[in-house]
Amino acid sequence: MRGRRSQRLMSDALTYLVFIFALVFFGGPLLWVLSLSIRTQQEIFITSLRLIPEHPTFENYTEVFYTAQFSVYLANSLKLALAGSIGAMVVSAPAAYAFSRLTFRGSGGLLIGVLALQMVPPLVVVIPLYRYFDRLNLLDSYFSTSMVYIAILVPLATWMLKGFFDGIPPALDEAAMVDGCTRFGAFLRVILPLILPGLTSVFVLTAILAWGEFVVPYVLLSDPSKLPISIAILNFQGNYAANSTNVLAAGGVLAMLPAIATFVILQRFIVRALTSGAIKG
Amino acid sequence: MTPTKKAFTFRGLAGEHRPTLWLAPLLAIVTLFYLYPAFEVLRYSLTNASLLRPDYEYTLSTFAQVLGDPVLYKVIKTTAIFVIASIVLQLLLGLLIAVAVNRASKRRLPGRVFIRSLVLSAWVMPGVVIGIVWAIILNDADYGLANLLLGAVGLGTVPWLSTPTTALISVIIANVWRGTAFSMILQYAGLQSIPDELYEAAEVDGAGKLQSFFYITIPQLRPIMMINIILITISTLSTFDMILALTGGGPGQATEVLSLRTYNVIFQNYSLSEGAVLAVIMMLISLALTLAYRRLLRSEGTL
Repeated sequence: MRGRRSQRLMSDALTYLVFIFALVFFGGPLLWVLSLSIRTQQEIFITSLRLIPEHPTFENYTEVFYTAQFSVYLANSLKLALAGSIGAMVVSAPAAYAFSRLTFRGSGGLLIGVLALQMVPPLVVVIPLYRYFDRLNLLDSYFSTSMVYIAILVPLATWMLKGFFDGIPPALDEAAMVDGCTRFGAFLRVILPLILPGLTSVFVLTAILAWGEFVVPYVLLSDPSKLPISIAILNFQGNYAANSTNVLAAGGVLAMLPAIATFVILQRFIVRALTSGAIKG
Repeated sequence: MTPTKKAFTFRGLAGEHRPTLWLAPLLAIVTLFYLYPAFEVLRYSLTNASLLRPDYEYTLSTFAQVLGDPVLYKVIKTTAIFVIASIVLQLLLGLLIAVAVNRASKRRLPGRVFIRSLVLSAWVMPGVVIGIVWAIILNDADYGLANLLLGAVGLGTVPWLSTPTTALISVIIANVWRGTAFSMILQYAGLQSIPDELYEAAEVDGAGKLQSFFYITIPQLRPIMMINIILITISTLSTFDMILALTGGGPGQATEVLSLRTYNVIFQNYSLSEGAVLAVIMMLISLALTLAYRRLLRSEGTL
């Protein structure tokens, strides 16, 4: 009995050892950047591990937000992320419903095809589109860029949503149709509301992915006033001198915060969606 | 099923019990933004097209030129090191944290949700920002965090981003920081699906903790780990935003991976055809990975 108890204590200690490692490795860099972002320029070069500076300041934040126009870039990112994820839901939901409910020839192969699309690096897609959009005068357009965002998010959204539709018994659709609904009506008014948690998680996940999307806007957008934050901050890093790391750090915090905050608030949904999407398909 | 009026007019092809209309938006998107670009990439790889002039001719020499260029093999070697190191470290670290979080939730130890959220926060950040965060941490000077820590234990400073070897190590560290969360989530789900009875039976048979870990946990997690390896490979192969912000591919070409090389060839050297050849190579790799993934899902009986 005693041996067992001490063994349990040992294991608890090991568990916390892993936690401490994770805390330092994953939390350390974030804390350090946070600390840099509230330092004055003089305090960047201090060679000590002190996290809270002697003269904490929020000036770096006001500088990036207003002077460096991060407010504009953040808004641009939000627009693209919302357009991409809403569009992806509109395209994916009916398709996922069909894959889940209708029996038709080639459905298995088609579903694998959709999975294969998810493996295609976005760069490959964007290369010919650049030339194509150039000719159609669609470069620097939010419409065409959002369409590409949608295209990149659709495979993941379709797979995940299919998993959620599979979790609802088909008897419910049939009951609704017996009561006079069309199949589309049953889909829209009965089944979609039932998978609301699934819809939410797919929406949030695709929005977070779209928020961080880089290569599509990097290639397709060049007008500085249209750039999303992921491109703007890279340009910002290139333009700023090494002696203003504090301002760069503030920019980094502003760029990561929306994604992290959304995720932490809604993570219960997302974590479940992630695992079901990857394992069950 | 009684045919409705609608189904009759569409001759059963586009009725609402047929997949056509349901799948139409998806198929349109797929055709415009996947099939057409894939075809175009293939076509451009057989030309001498450049971004600088509109006309081009068909030729096989671009393929020969790219495949004969020693730079390609250097890039492939860098990419392979980057991918393999990422796989090994993300699997191990993800498993370690997943086991700890799983144990903590069985014992209801405090702090587990915080740790899980923290690890996942690194994953949801935009890749460019991850690159910038690590460029700050791995600053070559003595006030960078990594060098501050090394200095504190008397190890001196390391020029993290300015020698070829350390730069590649830096890129790997940043990628592991980013990707471990996904492995952790997958392995955690895998751990939770292992029935407790297996462990109880092992305990009755007198197996110790380590034995049940190696004879129950690892074999039970094997299928998920295989899927995990493929997914890590795919995400690592398409990573280039993070590298762009961290090292820009340098010093020299030390951290120029295949995706970054493809981008540079097209948008820095304006050689659309040579870039298209590289993109074809990337597509072939994706195709092979997809086939492997399908086999795994099939053998698990989930598809």
